[in-house]
Amino acid sequence: MWFINDINLKKQADELGVKIWQTPGFLFLMIGLVAVVVMLATYLISRNYDRPEVLIASESVVAILILIIGTSIVRVVEGITNLNKIKSEFISVASHQLRTPLSAIRWETELLLSKQRKGLSKKQLENIENISVLSARMTRLVNDLLDVVRIDQKRLVLKKTSTDLTKIICEKVDELRPLFEERNIEVVVNCKKNVPKILSDPERIRMVMDNLISNSVKYTVNQGKIEIKLFRKDDLVLFSIKDNGVGIPEEQHKRVFEKFFRSDNVVKYQTEGTGLGLYITKSIIEQSGGKIWFQSVENLGTIFNFALPIRK
Amino acid sequence: MEKKKILIIEDEATLQKALSEFLSEEGFEVVSAMDGEVGSEAAKREKPDLIILDIILPKKDGYQVMEELRKLEITKNIPIILLTNLESPEDIQKAFERGATTYLIKSDYKLEDITRKIKESLEEN
Repeated sequence: MWFINDINLKKQADELGVKIWQTPGFLFLMIGLVAVVVMLATYLISRNYDRPEVLIASESVVAILILIIGTSIVRVVEGITNLNKIKSEFISVASHQLRTPLSAIRWETELLLSKQRKGLSKKQLENIENISVLSARMTRLVNDLLDVVRIDQKRLVLKKTSTDLTKIICEKVDELRPLFEERNIEVVVNCKKNVPKILSDPERIRMVMDNLISNSVKYTVNQGKIEIKLFRKDDLVLFSIKDNGVGIPEEQHKRVFEKFFRSDNVVKYQTEGTGLGLYITKSIIEQSGGKIWFQSVENLGTIFNFALPIRK
Repeated sequence: MEKKKILIIEDEATLQKALSEFLSEEGFEVVSAMDGEVGSEAAKREKPDLIILDIILPKKDGYQVMEELRKLEITKNIPIILLTNLESPEDIQKAFERGATTYLIKSDYKLEDITRKIKESLEEN
């Protein structure tokens, strides 16, 4: 019931980041209370006194009270708008100020590794390659953090167009093949022919695939096997990726899609990872009109699935 | 074959230098400008085959430069690749409305990829 929600002041205060007495709900209640008291008072006063001065004085007190409460409401609303403004300013400052130096680092290292590599020793090249890998990782982290802020503000925009999942999966698998080989992982891709296209943002779907596939790789120990499936069922395209990796402990299942979540067993094995990938992935799938879910047993493996409506 | 001439309008010295060096090595003739005003003058004078343009620039921003160049007969058909770290949908839309050929986010592209985009744009033109 909406009015119960509206008078849940503690929740409102937490959500807005203000004190309870500053929440709009509390202030409106106060206005109501003042109105009731005033009506009673006016009634009593007019019954007992017959002088217009008293009436005028009491009405003035009421007017002042309502003005004070009204001003506080306006202040709170202003404060919240201001907070949102600061947040979006933070996004633009962070995106510009962090990414410009990062781009410079990446371009300079790329120059060293491509056009200027002559005369560099093997050891030097190795160091520069490390810088290159790390700055790429940092760029990704900055991008992920910015995406999370956008999702939280409901400002993540998908450039929706006809998207070919089969093509994206094949390209991603080819791109990640060196990683599979390095970790000795067998990958089976089973995409049914003529799977219809969906309506989403191909760049974002590529990100989803990158996330789900590299998660499977990351959390699969040697001699692993990953199975990817894509097929049509009624009006949906279904995707699944199954691995025989470390799995997710059952008590932590409900937290998998939370931001910054990393399961205990994974933290033990791996140092890399931010816990942002699945949070972003879920948001992209849902914004494309789909659903994402998983099954997992610790030490046996994990299956991630998503369903997206086909493009009509 | 004659060398293709690229004008880079970018105020961040390190980025500008890295890109210039890479493109020179790739066989392009590179001219550069550090602000919007010098940049749009250079475009009129040098008549480059392609322009790489940042958005946030001193004196005139990338949008103003584009508006100016699109009005002039000698520069209106030069392909313009916007290379910026701004990425809001509004910025992207504004850029294409003013006649951008391609829009690239700096931190998402390696020099190699940018070079490929330049070659593609030159071929299309």
